Amino acid sequence: MTDQAGLERAYRRLLAWYPREFRRENEQEILAVLMADAPDGQRRPGLAQSADLIRSGLWMRLRPSVPRSARTVRAAVRLMYAGAAVSTVNLILLLALIADIEIYHAIPGHHLTAAQVSQVSTLFITICTLWDLVPIAVWLWMAQTCGRGRNWARIVSTVLFGAATLNLTSAFNWLPPGNHLTLVPMFYGPTLPVLYWLAGLAVVWLLWRPASSAFFRPPGYTQAQHQAQTAEFDHQAQMAELARLRARLPRQV
Amino acid sequence: MILTALADGAQHGYGIITDVRDISGGQVRLRAGTLYMALDRLRADELITVDREEIVDGRLRRYYRLTPAGTKLLADEAARLQAHASVALRRLNLAGGMAT
Repeated sequence: MTDQAGLERAYRRLLAWYPREFRRENEQEILAVLMADAPDGQRRPGLAQSADLIRSGLWMRLRPSVPRSARTVRAAVRLMYAGAAVSTVNLILLLALIADIEIYHAIPGHHLTAAQVSQVSTLFITICTLWDLVPIAVWLWMAQTCGRGRNWARIVSTVLFGAATLNLTSAFNWLPPGNHLTLVPMFYGPTLPVLYWLAGLAVVWLLWRPASSAFFRPPGYTQAQHQAQTAEFDHQAQMAELARLRARLPRQV
Repeated sequence: MILTALADGAQHGYGIITDVRDISGGQVRLRAGTLYMALDRLRADELITVDREEIVDGRLRRYYRLTPAGTKLLADEAARLQAHASVALRRLNLAGGMAT
């Protein structure tokens, strides 16, 4: 195997960090740039180049590319990432605070031994961690799929918001004062869950705006049709920008 | 810097890397991963667009160019930096004049 062929294979392996759709469109082009940028005689990717490709690939996987003209979808996707960030902070705070929670206070009428408390604590921490990972994963998944114009994701987001609404109202109805054993973030009073719910409401509202509906594709849409639609969005945005610039000209003269 | 590299006309990926290196006097060395992450963002923001594609030595070469929005953003940013630089130079000259 020649140096060039080996280097190209190594670069292809690194490009596997990128999303499949992005690779399909850009892999050959990036490979050409990487090979052109490689010094003569280089046999394998350098450490900095590898780290750069892995970092960029991961970032591209996390960041959906919504055209600037689809403003409402962009805002909804940003809110979803904010939701994921809040959920992550909530999980960190929960784990930090959980050590201070005396579990047996959460189970009225039960007097547990120290060993039982330890056992229940471990179980409690595990359940809480897993439960808190669910909204983080859901927020990120919905942000990704909605950002790619999947219409089913918009419907699933709305259904999940309905479920979250039921979960929130249930938590408020069932919780006796002072009871901390709950699966919604109630450790800091009702403010956080209400803000959380409002963020969900805003996401659903944004996703179903008429401007968003133009971005979402009906079932059966092909990749080529989506690219054509995105190009149309680009064209419309450019035309709007041109019209705006033209409108400013007479005032400047 | 990528927008500046495209201000002269359409460029392909490797051309942008070498141009950015020249513009910055060798200070900025763009890597391919960073470049294509930035190009993807600039395309999503409709500041650049694909001008044409060519096959050179069996490899795909895609040329990018500024959109009207990209041109306007670059012009606005350049004017803003020029205004800041002018103020800084004027004040430095004033300070020099007072010191002498």
